[in-house]
Amino acid sequence: MIPEYYEFFCSVKIISGKKALSNLPYEMGLLGAKKAMIITDQGVVGAGLMEYVKSAFEGATQEISVIFDQTPIDSSVKVVNELAVLYRGKECDCIIAVGGGSCLDTAKGVNIVISEGNDDLMVFQGMDRLAATPKPFIAIPTTAGTGSEVTAAAVIADTERGVKMPFISHKIFPQVAILDPRMTLTMPPRITAATGMDALTHAIEAYYDLQKNPISDSFALTAIRLVNKYLISAVKNGSDEQARLAMANAALCAGIAFSNSMVGIVHGLAHATGGCCHVPHGVANSIYLPWGMEYNLEKRHEIIAELAPYFGVTAGSDARTAASGVIRAVRDMRRELNDICKLPLTLKDAGVDETKLELIAKNSLNDGSMTYNPEEVTYEDALAVLKKAWDKE
Amino acid sequence: MNGLLSSFKRESAYGSKKAVAHISLLALGSTFELVSKYSKELKKEIADWQEGIVLLLGVLPNGPAMSVKKENGAIRFLGMGMRDADLKVLFKNIDSAMMVLTGMMGSHTAFAQFRAIVYGNLGVGMQMSRALNIVQKFLLPSFMLNKTFKRPPEFSSEDMWIKAKVMAALTPKMISGALR
Repeated sequence: MIPEYYEFFCSVKIISGKKALSNLPYEMGLLGAKKAMIITDQGVVGAGLMEYVKSAFEGATQEISVIFDQTPIDSSVKVVNELAVLYRGKECDCIIAVGGGSCLDTAKGVNIVISEGNDDLMVFQGMDRLAATPKPFIAIPTTAGTGSEVTAAAVIADTERGVKMPFISHKIFPQVAILDPRMTLTMPPRITAATGMDALTHAIEAYYDLQKNPISDSFALTAIRLVNKYLISAVKNGSDEQARLAMANAALCAGIAFSNSMVGIVHGLAHATGGCCHVPHGVANSIYLPWGMEYNLEKRHEIIAELAPYFGVTAGSDARTAASGVIRAVRDMRRELNDICKLPLTLKDAGVDETKLELIAKNSLNDGSMTYNPEEVTYEDALAVLKKAWDKE
Repeated sequence: MNGLLSSFKRESAYGSKKAVAHISLLALGSTFELVSKYSKELKKEIADWQEGIVLLLGVLPNGPAMSVKKENGAIRFLGMGMRDADLKVLFKNIDSAMMVLTGMMGSHTAFAQFRAIVYGNLGVGMQMSRALNIVQKFLLPSFMLNKTFKRPPEFSSEDMWIKAKVMAALTPKMISGALR
């Protein structure tokens, strides 16, 4: 069914495959850039992934001007503003983000401040507030989950006030995203599982949310197919380059889907849980996904039933039964991941104190994701879902 | 001649839409202030709002727009016109604004369809959206609420009494607004 109205946008050039990183200086050249600032973190450096990036510059006329490798787990306004000063001081003309969602979102924030000629990211809170042409920006993800390399949003924390703020604009996309299987090979099994479930959550929520549309649907379905085929392999055998590249593509496709269709109650709850209890985003999404699907079953069972073939569920003639089968298949996948790498199945397993549920419910209502959820979500509704997810699988 | 006529028609249609949006926003602002004094539901919703916060709802590029301020735990309607605000929710064009302000489209659908933008903290934007839904409950007829809300709102006997008070207070204001 065609929606009465939708918008779709993705301007990112995607380079995916064996030794894709080697194209990095060439792509900088196409963007008219010569001096790069690299934004990464200690995890990436410790895993030796920066060596692949540095070796790509051998013999190139482009150069790495400065490497910032102290990106915090949650990107912050303070770090973004400091990096903007560093970028200007080193006379860089290009930003390269190497890492997970935090590095990519930090880079997006830095690009906002530099491109707009300002010195404080806070000025640009909200949606569509950017006017200037962004500076050259290349994203190299090292996880396969957030899809931040193709999304119009950056989530950056104001550490002084203890809140995470979304910045949304079509101007913050990288110009280029490079998916090189070498960059995700070192991810440990549980992080691979959590980030893979993050990608699956993006795809499923994008597929049934209020702003679903034919173009984002096609990306969501591709992501769901790839996750079903390759996630378990990538978790079981981390050195399987084909599975790693497939999962990187799944995360990217899911990112394109949800950047346009947005997400719903699962993300609303996951963001609030991350804020209150520091549960990793992929873990929280994995816990909430079947509960969120069930919550929307009444209004969306026909749409969820369309996913049945992707999960190996026999559709039959009854949409509600098929949709329930899809939810069961999601639960089965989580159990398998729990068996392999102990990916938590409940909030209790993830270390969330039951006394925090009311705060999570309250905070989740202020998350923009709730707007796009098909079913209305009140405080009482959110709390009811949380109570189930606390100790039930 | 035909060109002049069609240009006149276009300008006249735009002017009419702006007038309807102006009156609708006037009604919304006035109702927001009234309901914040009586409705426990709205009082609870705005309880966490920062005292003195100014919120603006308007239409790009040049209005109309209305703004409200939280004062002494309730809402004060500041009047019409563009002004500085802590949070601005702006419809991208007059047609998008008309759909929401005349009750043809719910605010969640407007956001889902990217018909409005937010300047400021999006969390506060969510709070404002929920508050406006409560205000609309007292402003719009039930058949519109049933059509545009994700879940039709429930009315207690106290709510019905508040709705009657809102209508009684609003009607003369709207008539004088329309005449102006």
